[in-house]
Amino acid sequence: MSLVQTDNLCKTYHPETVPVHALRDVSLTIERGEFTSIVGPSGSGKTTLLNMLGGLDLPTSGVVRVDGIDLGGMRDGQRIAFRLRNIGFVFQHFNLIPVFTARENVAFVMLLQNRCKSDMLRRTDALLDAVGLSDRKDARPRELSGGQQQRVAVARALASEPKFILADEPTANLDSESAMNLLDIMERMNRDQQATFVFSTHDPRVIERALRVVTMVDGAVVKDERHGDE
Amino acid sequence: MKALLTIAWRNIGRHPARSGVLLAAIAVGLWAGTVSTGAINALMQQRMTYLIESEIAHVQVHHSHFPQEFRGADGVPEYQAIETWLANDGRVRAFASRAIAEGMLQSPIRVSGANIRGVDPEAERRTTIFHESMTEGEYLDSDVRQAAIVGGPLASDHHIEIGDRIVLTFENASGELTAAAFHVTGFFESASTEYDRRTVFVRAGDLAGLLADQPIRHEIAVLLEDETQAVALAADLNRSFPDTLARTWRELSPELNMLVELGDVMLFIVTLIIMAALAFGILNTMLMALFERMREIGMLMAIGMSRRRVFGMILLESTLLTALGATVGMVLAWGTIRHLGKSGLHLDQFAAGAAHLGWDSTIYPFLTTAEYASILAVVIAITLLASCYPAWKAIRIRPLEAGRDL
Repeated sequence: MSLVQTDNLCKTYHPETVPVHALRDVSLTIERGEFTSIVGPSGSGKTTLLNMLGGLDLPTSGVVRVDGIDLGGMRDGQRIAFRLRNIGFVFQHFNLIPVFTARENVAFVMLLQNRCKSDMLRRTDALLDAVGLSDRKDARPRELSGGQQQRVAVARALASEPKFILADEPTANLDSESAMNLLDIMERMNRDQQATFVFSTHDPRVIERALRVVTMVDGAVVKDERHGDE
Repeated sequence: MKALLTIAWRNIGRHPARSGVLLAAIAVGLWAGTVSTGAINALMQQRMTYLIESEIAHVQVHHSHFPQEFRGADGVPEYQAIETWLANDGRVRAFASRAIAEGMLQSPIRVSGANIRGVDPEAERRTTIFHESMTEGEYLDSDVRQAAIVGGPLASDHHIEIGDRIVLTFENASGELTAAAFHVTGFFESASTEYDRRTVFVRAGDLAGLLADQPIRHEIAVLLEDETQAVALAADLNRSFPDTLARTWRELSPELNMLVELGDVMLFIVTLIIMAALAFGILNTMLMALFERMREIGMLMAIGMSRRRVFGMILLESTLLTALGATVGMVLAWGTIRHLGKSGLHLDQFAAGAAHLGWDSTIYPFLTTAEYASILAVVIAITLLASCYPAWKAIRIRPLEAGRDL
């Protein structure tokens, strides 16, 4: 069974006034351990697709299944609980809780999962070490650079031991060096921990490093290629 | 819960100026309201205590006709037996029997209506604090025969000096007009100018001798060790002496009772005004905070924070904010009331008007523990209520907001 599967996913905004077709019949499968990039021009539906995959929004028609479970069949509260256990998120902005330190931000999702304190502390430290922020654990987001903040976000996304991580333009606000650093970390997590990443991007340097590239235009998938296949 | 507390606490510190202004508003509002309530309490208590201690006492005994119509002939039946009964009751601290006549005071320059009260100076001293109202001259325990003391404003209206003679005219027990000359030995000033303008005190024996051939008293004022026993004592008296009517101060002075109830109403109104301001302050601040953090709250829900927890976080945040302000306000109010309760709040600039209405110019604010607790309880309840709307708005935010900028 595929980790994520979408069948004929459609999303239409303002269907009764001026319909905007953000997604058109998107059928896609994501397997465990994949490092997938969703690419395409602005307005092509990348973010809408990621929102559907993460259960942040519901399709107008079609189905999203994660591990065989239909996200559309859940009540809102169930979807939140499902995300907590199964999906990690890295956003472009507003990624971290500004009043928490890096350590607290990473630990927060585990607190929501009611994990035991010792496990939480051990995992938090290990994740922050892994993303190269051993010496910035007690810094608040405003004391961190954009790249460091995104690294904390990746650590937090991994903290809940999710089935997959969705990252929407994670490098968009980063300089080249920080972007490459972040990608290094994501790749390492993918390789070493078998973490599944699905991320959207415009950046050709990021696209180059993805193992699979799904290209979207006008809400439809127009190309789906695996670099390993070439 | 700890994480929610931490996040709520730190969110308060996010905008120190805004939080500070709300904290100050809560603290100052609560301080002002609580101190005002203490002052209202003091005014009511002062009025009540003064009227009880200066004249009414806790229980009064009259002839059973007394409430309908006052007649000179309607003295308290068996008043001496009642005095003996009272003297043997452990609940009674003191009592004073009085003879009363409604009549006129005639001086060389004018005539005016007067309420003539015949008192036993010693018994009156033990029962009331009226003797403390003397401003000039001597009280009725002087050696002067047919002595009278007159209210200051009444003396002023009649241009009476100490040592002057006045003529008191009234109806005796047989219904005939009687007049007698009295020597003014002193002036008094109570808390009520109106009372002082129409009241003359003479010795009970002097007045009773003019009213009837037999000893007569129209009123027995009873001071108790404990005010709460007034109802029981009045009931016992009514049972033991069926021709008399014993009533508590609440029955005797419905306006006083109303004053006490008015105090409670004012307490409620003052609290309501403070709470309304508090509620709008909290609502405004929390809504502002919420609108600034829409995406952040969306992000929290995206990563798995349940709506119940988001609701709790907003409620906790406003509760913490209010608790801080309320603590400061209540501590300040407690200190202020404690200080003013000892040194007194001087209302000298209003003293003339206050005296006219029967108030003293210095009041001693106080608040009972139950009143402090009820104010705090209302503050907490209002805070929670006022926070519910922002919290409800927060849980309506869609997790999608987190990525809205993309």
